[in-house]
Amino acid sequence: MKRWVRLEVRLVALSLVSLAAPASGYEGPRTSDDRPDLSGIWQVLTTAAWDLQHHNAQDGVPAGLSVVEGNDIPYQPWAEARKQENYENRLTADPVRKCYLPGVPRITYMPFPFQILQTPDQVVMTYEFAHAVRIIYTNGSPHPLPNDFWMGDSRGHWEGDTLVVDTTHFIDRTWFDAAGNFHSDALHVVERFTPTSPYHIEYEVTIEDPKVFTRPWKMRMPLYRRVEQGLQLLEYDCVDFILQSLEGQ
Amino acid sequence: MIRRSFAPLGLLTAVAFAALVPLVVAEASGEAAQGEAYTSPRTPWGDPDLRGPWDRGAAQPVETPVDELWRPEGATIDAPPASLFEPDPDAPPLPAAIETPLVVDPPDGKIPLQPWAAAKREEIMANQDKLAHLDPRVKCLSAGLPRANLPWGFNTYQILQVPGYVVILYEANHEYRYIPLDGRPHVSSEIRLGLGDSRGHWEGETLVVDVTNFTENTWVIARGVAPEGAPASALSTGHGVFHSDALHVVERFTLTDADTIHYEATIDDPKVFTRPWTIALDAFMRAPEDHELLEYACHEGNGRNLRLMTGVDVDAK
Repeated sequence: MKRWVRLEVRLVALSLVSLAAPASGYEGPRTSDDRPDLSGIWQVLTTAAWDLQHHNAQDGVPAGLSVVEGNDIPYQPWAEARKQENYENRLTADPVRKCYLPGVPRITYMPFPFQILQTPDQVVMTYEFAHAVRIIYTNGSPHPLPNDFWMGDSRGHWEGDTLVVDTTHFIDRTWFDAAGNFHSDALHVVERFTPTSPYHIEYEVTIEDPKVFTRPWKMRMPLYRRVEQGLQLLEYDCVDFILQSLEGQ
Repeated sequence: MIRRSFAPLGLLTAVAFAALVPLVVAEASGEAAQGEAYTSPRTPWGDPDLRGPWDRGAAQPVETPVDELWRPEGATIDAPPASLFEPDPDAPPLPAAIETPLVVDPPDGKIPLQPWAAAKREEIMANQDKLAHLDPRVKCLSAGLPRANLPWGFNTYQILQVPGYVVILYEANHEYRYIPLDGRPHVSSEIRLGLGDSRGHWEGETLVVDVTNFTENTWVIARGVAPEGAPASALSTGHGVFHSDALHVVERFTLTDADTIHYEATIDDPKVFTRPWTIALDAFMRAPEDHELLEYACHEGNGRNLRLMTGVDVDAK
């Protein structure tokens, strides 16, 4: 009898663990407040920064497979036309070409490293590209302000071993990639960061924008830990590049 | 640029600063700050605890003008812009004495520029309508150091600590710096960074940070706005003080009471200055615990400013 009770307890405990643990079952290093430790320098290896969807190579653009679920971005008809127009004009119209902040999630998959710094109250992400910063509060505070931001307002919480980041309060001037995929100020982004090994974080993003899309859609890609000895974030200050090209005027 | 109103805190800070002025003067000669009995709270891993959101320190002149005869704007740093008020011919002359400058060494409060560098500073300040000479911070380039820690605009700060690192986030123009504490050497001198390459260690209560590897497009210091038309030799704001690739800054951050970080920086650049010089100020005043840094998208909204100031259309690029 005792044995059965014990087994039952174990089974219940196991099922609780499996509810809390990531699907991968990976259990890595943890912080002092018993969260998965995401700190370190990370970078993607996809070509999502150039084009979220399947694309062939162009001058300066590596070919790549889609990071979008089903390769389908469900634009409303007017928005599909606008995306095509953006694509035609992408070499001048892409806001990142003017060194404007890339927005979210694009900042994550820019082809530059970024560093995660984790405390119990916030997860801070600092980016080499344009020294962008995201402070993701994980202390239960709500989206506080009516203002809109280039990088949105990010609030996070933990679901088991997954950091879930809810970002709203966007302006409508950023693109998702250099191929003209875009959104409105109604954009709502939910990112899920799940560590799957000491060197990988599974990164899944749900995009919702009822003004532009017919339904929510998802993208997914791994983040890779940069493991080089002595690595540190350097600087890509594109404002300087733009100004230098104009200083003769 | 997005900004929330923070009037009550500003008022508090002003009141607090009024009480602190004598203290700053008393400490200006140097070692007094180190002798203070205040012991910082500790992080769980035993380092002095500087964590939290911080507001900027109070206004203070940066330097003693070389040309002290220039009047009126050069006399007090916070005089309203001349354009706001008609000059009053019957007004009594402004007081000749100015407030204690941030420059505590050399003792005369003057920045020890080499003669050629003083001349270049005059040229820079006389050409603020040219994109190449315009204040780099106005162009949304890096603030540089120690300038990033001087009171400026609406800047606030957040200091984070994890074992082995102190990290400072600057609200203005979303800058950040990682300060590793593990004794690693500086990155290769080929690498250049706006806020430089920081390496820190604790000396008792004080965080000491050695910073090198700067780019050459920042100014060393400057606070507030330079009075329009003032020759550089009459400035008390520190504007136009450039540096070379040899800039070396040593910073000292010390919690001197629960709500104040005293900051000293020694600035060495043998290509530009005749000797190393030091500034000291209460640079960080504790902000309310729930203070959040907001997005300060500097460059994104700067096209019109630059067009009006220099005639160059940055957005057309």
